[in-house]
Amino acid sequence: MKKDGFLYTVIFSFIVAFVFVFFLSLANQITKPIVEATQKAGFYTSVLNAAGIDPGNDVKATFDAAFPGEDPDVVDLFTTQWNGQSILVRRFSGPGLWGTITGVLAVNGQVDQIIGLEIISHSETPGLGGRIEEDWFKNQFRGENIPSGRIVVKKGTGEVDNNPNNQQVDGITGASLTSKSMETIINDTIQRIKLEAGGN
Amino acid sequence: MADRPADILKDNLWFNNPVFIQILGICSTLAVTNNLTNTFIMSMGVMFVTGFSSFTVSVMKTLIPRKVRMIVQTLIIAFYVIILDILLRAYLPDISKALGPYVGLIITNCIIMGRAEAFGQSNGPLLSFWDGITSGLGYAWVLMAIAFVRELLGFGTLFGIPVLPTFIPRWTIMVMAPSAFFLMGGLLWIIKTIMLKKEANSGA
Repeated sequence: MKKDGFLYTVIFSFIVAFVFVFFLSLANQITKPIVEATQKAGFYTSVLNAAGIDPGNDVKATFDAAFPGEDPDVVDLFTTQWNGQSILVRRFSGPGLWGTITGVLAVNGQVDQIIGLEIISHSETPGLGGRIEEDWFKNQFRGENIPSGRIVVKKGTGEVDNNPNNQQVDGITGASLTSKSMETIINDTIQRIKLEAGGN
Repeated sequence: MADRPADILKDNLWFNNPVFIQILGICSTLAVTNNLTNTFIMSMGVMFVTGFSSFTVSVMKTLIPRKVRMIVQTLIIAFYVIILDILLRAYLPDISKALGPYVGLIITNCIIMGRAEAFGQSNGPLLSFWDGITSGLGYAWVLMAIAFVRELLGFGTLFGIPVLPTFIPRWTIMVMAPSAFFLMGGLLWIIKTIMLKKEANSGA
């Protein structure tokens, strides 16, 4: 068969594409369980951290103890009674500056206090908007009282806002748009929790 | 074109460096260099992909019909990039998360296609592999140099370890992509000056 002929070219392209794609699917299939396990463990850890529960050594066991029978594949709102306090944890996702920001937000049973916030994924600028995943930013939300059901992310001043009663947290300097997005996402999530938990 | 391994190494690291002589792979230079750790892993990824894709192209070169040569090369490169992405996601999830979409962008790194086409297509497999690895190395050291300056001035850290005292203000611009343009331009200027000086000296 002629190497530059039509038939050879078609057959060659087909075989090459088939072989390479076959090996890719194989690699993907083999590693799939590992990837899924990592993602799931990451999600459990985020939910527990947001709710202020120490994940301990066995994340899965702690999660099952705190949220019995709640499967993250099925539900978005997790409820627990932990140390006598009722805690609601809601998965959220919303638009950031560059892409979707996903995470979990924990509030108390009356939805008038934020328990904690965890960011699971985002694609904000590293070092600017990307700092939403840093502890100093997330910890500002911890214990913040929100009687009005809203929170304000202030223009970044570089000073961490530790006052739990002013319904404000400090934004990120140089990342006003990401800070604004976070405010919108958090407030939407609080409203959603109120709606969904209101039925009980 | 050099064909001794030592000459290939020298060529790819300095005299014919893919970044500052051939001006290839600039997009990733801008994107990942605000942090040494990410830059290092990105460079390793590029070395892996350039080496193996040049090798594969070289092995298959007598079989590939001329008409579909480029598209087959692209397929081979994409294959190695996706393999790399899968491996990172499964075994180094933290790094995979930090690099995000940039791993996939290795496909668009022109160095890889450039080496496969210019070298792998006309040389033996082992030499092509060596050429790919050293090209990746040439890319790596330039990127690491830029990342060193950007991370130091932008975050005050090196590989995430704080080194600058906190009273020195951080340069926000260094964290953002445009600073890579300035540093890249500056680096090109310095290196070209050195090269021209050497040429003038050897000519005299």
